[in-house]
Amino acid sequence: MRFTRSRALTALAAALLAVAATGCESKSSGGGAAPQASGAPIVVGSTLSLSGAFAATGMIHKIAGEEFVDRLNAAGGLLGRPVKWVVRDDESDQAKVATLYEQLISQDKVDLIIGPYATPNILSAMAVAARHGYVMPQHTAVIAPLLTYPCQFPAWSLGPTPNEFVPNQLFDAVASLPSPPKRVAIVTNQNGSTDFVSYGSGNNKTGMVSIARQRGLDLVLEVRYPPTTTDWAPLAARIRDAKPDLLINDGLGVDPVNLLQAMAQLNYKPPMMFSLFPSPGPPLGLGATAEGLLSVTIFEPNKPTLDKLGAEATEIVNEFKTRATAAKLPYTVFETQAAASWNAWEILVAGVKGAGSLDQKAICDKLHADGADTTFSGHLTFDPAKNNFWETTSAIKQIQNGDWVTVWPADRAAAQLRPPAS
Amino acid sequence: MRWRSVVAFPLAIAALATLSLYRETMGFPLFYLGVLTSVLFWTTQATSWNILSGYSGYFSFGQAAYVGVGAYTTAVLYGRHGVNFYLTIPVAAVLCALLAAAIGGLAFRLRSLRGEIFALLTLAVPFILAALARINSTIDGGQGIILAVPPFPAGLGLFQDFLYLISLLLAGAAVWVAYAIQHSRFGWALSAIRDAEDVAEGLGVATFRYKMLAIVASGAIGGVGGSIYALQIGFVTVESVFSLTVPLFVIVMSVLGGRSHWLGPVIGAGLVVLLQDRLSASGLESWRLIVLGAALAVLVVIAPDGLYHRLRAQPWLALAAFAVVTGALWTSGVWGVPLDWILLGALAGAVASIWPRRPRASAPAPAPAVAEPTGTPPAAAGGVLVEARNVAKYFGGVRALADVTLTVREGELVGLVGPNGSGKTTLVSLLAGTLRPTRGSIQVAGRDISGLSPHRVAHAGVARTYQIPRPFGSMTVRDNVAIALMFGRQPLPLAQARRAAEQHIAFVGLSHLAGALPTALNLHQRQLLEIARALATSPRVLLLDEALAGLNPAEIDSAVEVIRRIQRSGTAVVIVEHLLRVVNQLATRVVVLDRGTCLADGDPKTVMSQPEVIRAYLGKRAHA
Amino acid sequence: MTTLQAALSGALIGGLYALMAAGLSVTWGVLRVINLAHFAMILLGAYLTFEIASSWRIDPILTVAVTAPAMFVAGATLQWTFDRLRIAEFTSLLLSFGLLIVAVQVVSNIWSADFQRMTGSVNPYATRSVSLGRLVFPVTTLLAFAFAAVLIAGAHLVMRRTFVGRAMRAFAQDRTIAAAFGIDHGRIGPLVAGCAGASAAIAGMLFALSNALTPATAYEWFGIVFAVVILGGIGHVVGTLAAGVLVGVLSGVVSVLVSPAAAPFVLFSTIVLALLLRPQGLFTAGGTR
Repeated sequence: MRFTRSRALTALAAALLAVAATGCESKSSGGGAAPQASGAPIVVGSTLSLSGAFAATGMIHKIAGEEFVDRLNAAGGLLGRPVKWVVRDDESDQAKVATLYEQLISQDKVDLIIGPYATPNILSAMAVAARHGYVMPQHTAVIAPLLTYPCQFPAWSLGPTPNEFVPNQLFDAVASLPSPPKRVAIVTNQNGSTDFVSYGSGNNKTGMVSIARQRGLDLVLEVRYPPTTTDWAPLAARIRDAKPDLLINDGLGVDPVNLLQAMAQLNYKPPMMFSLFPSPGPPLGLGATAEGLLSVTIFEPNKPTLDKLGAEATEIVNEFKTRATAAKLPYTVFETQAAASWNAWEILVAGVKGAGSLDQKAICDKLHADGADTTFSGHLTFDPAKNNFWETTSAIKQIQNGDWVTVWPADRAAAQLRPPAS
Repeated sequence: MRWRSVVAFPLAIAALATLSLYRETMGFPLFYLGVLTSVLFWTTQATSWNILSGYSGYFSFGQAAYVGVGAYTTAVLYGRHGVNFYLTIPVAAVLCALLAAAIGGLAFRLRSLRGEIFALLTLAVPFILAALARINSTIDGGQGIILAVPPFPAGLGLFQDFLYLISLLLAGAAVWVAYAIQHSRFGWALSAIRDAEDVAEGLGVATFRYKMLAIVASGAIGGVGGSIYALQIGFVTVESVFSLTVPLFVIVMSVLGGRSHWLGPVIGAGLVVLLQDRLSASGLESWRLIVLGAALAVLVVIAPDGLYHRLRAQPWLALAAFAVVTGALWTSGVWGVPLDWILLGALAGAVASIWPRRPRASAPAPAPAVAEPTGTPPAAAGGVLVEARNVAKYFGGVRALADVTLTVREGELVGLVGPNGSGKTTLVSLLAGTLRPTRGSIQVAGRDISGLSPHRVAHAGVARTYQIPRPFGSMTVRDNVAIALMFGRQPLPLAQARRAAEQHIAFVGLSHLAGALPTALNLHQRQLLEIARALATSPRVLLLDEALAGLNPAEIDSAVEVIRRIQRSGTAVVIVEHLLRVVNQLATRVVVLDRGTCLADGDPKTVMSQPEVIRAYLGKRAHA
Repeated sequence: MTTLQAALSGALIGGLYALMAAGLSVTWGVLRVINLAHFAMILLGAYLTFEIASSWRIDPILTVAVTAPAMFVAGATLQWTFDRLRIAEFTSLLLSFGLLIVAVQVVSNIWSADFQRMTGSVNPYATRSVSLGRLVFPVTTLLAFAFAAVLIAGAHLVMRRTFVGRAMRAFAQDRTIAAAFGIDHGRIGPLVAGCAGASAAIAGMLFALSNALTPATAYEWFGIVFAVVILGGIGHVVGTLAAGVLVGVLSGVVSVLVSPAAAPFVLFSTIVLALLLRPQGLFTAGGTR
């Protein structure tokens, strides 16, 4: 009796392993389309968070990258050769990032690499890239002081000092309103990037908090919360009682959604609210509760903006929407994250084309010398003294009528910054 | 320590080191070093966990605490303040050892804290540490710490080589420590603790000391592993080092590989890392955890003692399966890379070894040779050995014993009788030091034992058996007795202890079963084992708690013979017994307890005919 | 005032924690099985509520008509398997842990690792609240507390007053003797586990009413749920409710008075202290286990 049961279980185990083994027969999933240019493919390797905490945004980068590579191959590839993109899932796990990049570079011997998603992963990958001397364009790390490898190239820049740039831009924007806010509350997620924007880093303590004070604003509440917060009611209650004119949430992901909902449950909505790095989709699902929410962006596909950029930009945006819808992404709009991804690929291609070869050092030098042209952010220049962080084209966006719209500065705005409904 | 380990370990480490030192000459792919480094990291962590949790049975869910503290120590000292990287490693070890000592000091002091409560306590520790790191953002500047590559001898090659070699040294040291512990007294003590901690204490094992040593060793090793880990990931934040992944994987690996042996974590780490690596390399990331979870669930049921024991039982079969599968894949070269073939071969070997087999019928045991009782008349009552004065024991509001005075003299055989609930077992526990009296004093050979821990009471000369026998399930009969000799008043090394154990086993007539495991013994034999084990501590007083419970008449007679022999050999005996005919046969004196008080104390015949005693036992209208 | 508000919100949320913990506590206490797969059942309950409510456009609360029976069956089947394989306490921990890992990954494969949340049109409860003067009670947490209180009170009455309940308590104390009195292992075990599963499904539904779902959430519940189980006393449902409220209030008040980062520190330190000083739970009568 006992053995029959054990045999059944062992058979089950063997069956499972057999399934895994047959599964093993398919090799690594690549992202490249059928090459149209000729010759041996140029292989670009990277990891992305396709599962785990960062998967939502990781998928956006996967689709943007696939779209880019397809277009590139359709246009003749790189140096006349087709491009193949090998992307591994790092499961949002930092330890795996380092190992996978080592695997890509040392075993798979990829020709080029591109960075992963989310700052901690980018920093781990950067260490590996530095050890092997590989050029690494990366799309989302903005803590400039930490990105010290000279051949790392940011595709999304908030400037070399985001902790000064973002607060100043925000306060400039709201200062332009008919009755500018005087009382501000700043609640900060203790994650690295958001904490950096609020409080600076190392010896440079400039940030949202210090600049608010500097500008004579009344700081009525200042709270830091851990990324693992699940109960938002206490924080919402404190914000409500502080009665700010402007609530600044240096947070990320679904923080603003959680906050807005918790405040709504207390029958409260702050007159104005800013959130630093939200996932773009979820706030839109909140309807009127999130109307008027502000954030930063480097690109929103608003009609006036697209008209300025031209037909190709519009094509890219629409193609992305099609692919994203097919992949059942909850948010299918091509905006900051996708644009940053696009920039990263364009930087890589510009470097290779400029150097005329796959030599990493030559690529790195060429990028430093000539910079790169991008569809969505114009011409980028890389100054190693500033850790390659180019002068930013970052802007402020606002939810208007259920959509994100660029509203500041005026030369990039697609609509007017709306004051709080009184 | 066996000479083999002194030679074998360094040899193995050197052989593995050549993979890196002569990598280019041998054409060994750099990528494989990466996989091996991962195996080494997990081997270190799993071994660290196993030293406490596998060996002693105290499951810890807090391995992340050591990795986290170790990683943060190196990150803060080296990454932020520029202290020499190599110096941070011993600092990490010390800090983690202190942390472990604090946890152990708190948790092990409290006797009620066993099993799963300890597991949950350790689960809370990383959460607390992570919260501390967040509250005090000056530790990591709030944003995490980057670590640059530390300077290392140029001849070693690339950073990956350096990482591999340092991980190899660390893993080698960790595994060697586990090996050394397992083959030493320390290891035996931990095994005894795992099997039956109370019993071990009663035999003289200083359980608190050994558990503390184990947890400190575990902490130090885990911490050093964390140090290296910081280097590997390059960027340390709270989330990356205090996560739930580490303790979960560590438990899976040790359970899969085998918890009671030093090779278990190594096998587990190797198999799990390789499996995960190959699954992700084949684009099957979404299956990794499903396979791992399912493997854990299935293996926990069919091979709960882990792969190591199964492999040990059928090494040739496993090796053959491995060779066949790997060889077939290699020669046919149809698909995959060498790592895939090795993995599938290893899996084949594992499945082959755990495939259930019919047990071989064991040869029937030969009939026991009864040791002739030597004829020396019972000694006259001598000096006082144990004196309990005005002892009372309350459990909350329940009065178990109230004002009991009992003296046991040399050469006596005291029968402790009374109806159920009269406090007999409580009194035995008090005399053995397992419980502390609420009031009154207990002296053994003139020493007050009220404040002593049970193992010291054992050393003072009191031994007890349990009504339901509690042998150490993982050890043979001989080793069960040997434990008592290894940790008794005059401790013996293992080999000598085993020889001396034969004597005691022969005394109770179990020589023919000396090499058997307790599961092969019937109840009577297990009770004899209890007695043999207790005798091996050379007690002055032996407390037998209902040693005849559940025996048939023939077995009872045999047990009575043994007890007589014990008394003749000079040990005083106290037997708690319900069978009055046995008490009459054996006892030189009878003490009757009723509802916590002493009703009568004296010569068996006299006591048994006293009216209060009859009333207490049989009710008012019965006759003697 | 803010502190009072935080304390009240915390107390209400504590009801949800208690409901999550109650099933685990009962199976641990009565069946001597530490079932980590309970978290998987809460997770599945939450995701199924999300899926059914969003696809069929029905009120999320009504989804328990489907999810509770489903999880009842799941829980009962699991327990039946444990019994057939004669799994002991510690092995059950490891086995159910393996199943939890598989379940989380399967959920991730089906629904993606992205945050899923019922939209406002599907879930009307998310932003509504009831006011009492300056104090506000969000509808979702009121519902959670109400469900928890009713279910736990019901469970308590069943355990104390009905034959089945007494059978369970006898079973918990001494299985063999209970069997001698005719209490069938084979029936009691799956029944209890099934009820625990159903409670998990309801807890999952309540969680989905006010939170975004992601597969990894299952692991995030460990700390709080075990805290509540331990503090409440293993196997004591009313104690679990009291402990849940205590945990919620403590977290809320500390978040407001000190800082949100200090809340987990205080909470887990409290658990450590409770484990050391009173391992049988804060809300049980004295005596050792």
